[in-house]
Amino acid sequence: MAGSERRVLIVDDDPDIVDYLSFFLEDEGFAVKTAGRCSTARGMLDEFQPEVILIDALLPGKSGLDLLVSLRRDPKWSEVPMVVVTGNDTLLEDDCQSYLGAHEGVRGPDGVLGKPVDRETLLAVLDTLLDGTGSG
Amino acid sequence: MDKVQLTIPKGLGESESPYQKYWEEMPCYLSVHDRDFRIIDGNRKFREDFGERIGQYCYRVYKGRDEVCPNCPVEATFLDGQTHPSEQLLTTKDGREVPVMVHTTAIRDDSEEIVAVMEMHTDIAEVKQLQSELQRSQERLAQLFEEVPCFITVQGPDRVIQHANRRFRETFGDPIGQSCFKMYKHRDEQCLVCPMQQTFDDGVTREHEEILFTEDGEKLNGLCTTAPLRNADGEVEAVIEMCIDITQIRELQSQLASIGLLVGSISHGIKGLLTGLDGGIYMVNSGFAKDKPERVEKGWEMVQRNVERIRSMVLDILYYAKDRELVVEDVDLQAIVAEFRAGLEKKASDADTEVRIDLAEDTGIFAGDPQAIRAMLLNLLENSLDACRMDKDKGDHWIRLDVRREEPWMIIEVEDNGLGMDRETREKIFSLFFSSKGIKGTGLGLFISNKIVDKHGGTIEVESEPGRGTRFLVRVPLDAKPSIQPEEEAIE
Repeated sequence: MAGSERRVLIVDDDPDIVDYLSFFLEDEGFAVKTAGRCSTARGMLDEFQPEVILIDALLPGKSGLDLLVSLRRDPKWSEVPMVVVTGNDTLLEDDCQSYLGAHEGVRGPDGVLGKPVDRETLLAVLDTLLDGTGSG
Repeated sequence: MDKVQLTIPKGLGESESPYQKYWEEMPCYLSVHDRDFRIIDGNRKFREDFGERIGQYCYRVYKGRDEVCPNCPVEATFLDGQTHPSEQLLTTKDGREVPVMVHTTAIRDDSEEIVAVMEMHTDIAEVKQLQSELQRSQERLAQLFEEVPCFITVQGPDRVIQHANRRFRETFGDPIGQSCFKMYKHRDEQCLVCPMQQTFDDGVTREHEEILFTEDGEKLNGLCTTAPLRNADGEVEAVIEMCIDITQIRELQSQLASIGLLVGSISHGIKGLLTGLDGGIYMVNSGFAKDKPERVEKGWEMVQRNVERIRSMVLDILYYAKDRELVVEDVDLQAIVAEFRAGLEKKASDADTEVRIDLAEDTGIFAGDPQAIRAMLLNLLENSLDACRMDKDKGDHWIRLDVRREEPWMIIEVEDNGLGMDRETREKIFSLFFSSKGIKGTGLGLFISNKIVDKHGGTIEVESEPGRGTRFLVRVPLDAKPSIQPEEEAIE
């Protein structure tokens, strides 16, 4: 069973949201790991090999978008689908792209989800992204 | 007297030299003096105003003195043969004072020996009057400069302040010999962009807005204008800078802007709390469905925590929106802490954080607003608890509350070993709507805490280091006066 579970890494500093999303995604049959900081998340990549990464836009220290940019620039992880979760209405897809515009050649997030996260939408986004990778 | 060879003809006749006539009609006082300071001749104007005084001492005739004047120009000319100009005040025979410019000239005999000295007194009453008018108008200008209700400085090319008006001196201190950047900004070097320098370079007037710091460290918004002061050749010799205090206007503007931000901030905060509620409800429901009591319990705690957060957020908003004045009563910190202690400990244990409370027994009572003090304490403590909850790098977390009385202050320390803050965050934490907590923060809590302490006339300091934790040190005076800032207007 462990082999068939799709691996999702959640990077968010809010323990409530981390608990909620990990319970929910585990219920839906995903294997979930969580990290509260960018540095912790980077340390988990090799072992966990996530197939999707959910990144909170606002993280202590480095922002979630900085993490996204650094992963996109790392050939090892650049192709892993990444979804930015944001509570800030102004940080929707367009703004995300314009932020990334400052980092030339970096592909933006594969999806942006607003908070409060709608469970159906989250599942739909994950399904689409994981089908696209064709793994499993 | 016997030595005097010079004879000056008296009783002008037709056959006399025309020079005699010129001498007589010169429009000034002419007199000739011997070595004993006696007047041996004078022209008509002299005689008219001082009388027939030939043979008398000049100091008596001109000034009514009994002895030689100090720095007598006649004496000086006898000594060196040079002309000695000076300004004098003469008194005529009818007591009128005449300011004059005096020039002396040596009169020599055939052997070139000085035998007499001629004095020419030119009436400068008109010049004097002009001078005094000029002085009065200069004084009026100086008074204007002094009393203008804004800050004015004049700087030389070395950026050193040469003049400053009264308002400037009262607000920023004595500037003479100091640089503008030192006085206005407490800087040790010239500002990166210096409009003063630019005006020196191109002679163009500039307007700019600056943050200024008074001698007491108060921050002012200044609208500053620089203008060149040119010399006769048209070169910029100095630059005058005039700064108008627009702090109140800016405060009003920022309050207006705050209302807009408040709405955005609240909706942002509420969305975060909704996610937490949503999550809690999901966990309760799914926990029941899957018969997992631990999950139900965890979910229920999440719901409670987020409801509590909504409640404190609403209180913060109300506090901010009302901008209420202090209601000063007796504050008993023992009672206040006892009231919230159990609730705090429950919250802390949910976040695996230990609460250490050290209340000195002799805290007694002090004058302050009990409700405001309670809100301030809870804001600081919850902030510390959040910093522990969000810190995943340490196992053992604690928050500490320490209260003691140190006349004339009540000292309150709130410390945690949570996330800690970097310098940038630390400097901004008391700003309105600044939050480092991502979606959970409205940026109101610490702003309001700071405001409460400020209204009590106290201070709040913060020490923090990323990874180590944070310590707030609050000093509240034991005798807060009600309504310390009565002029501050409430936002309705």
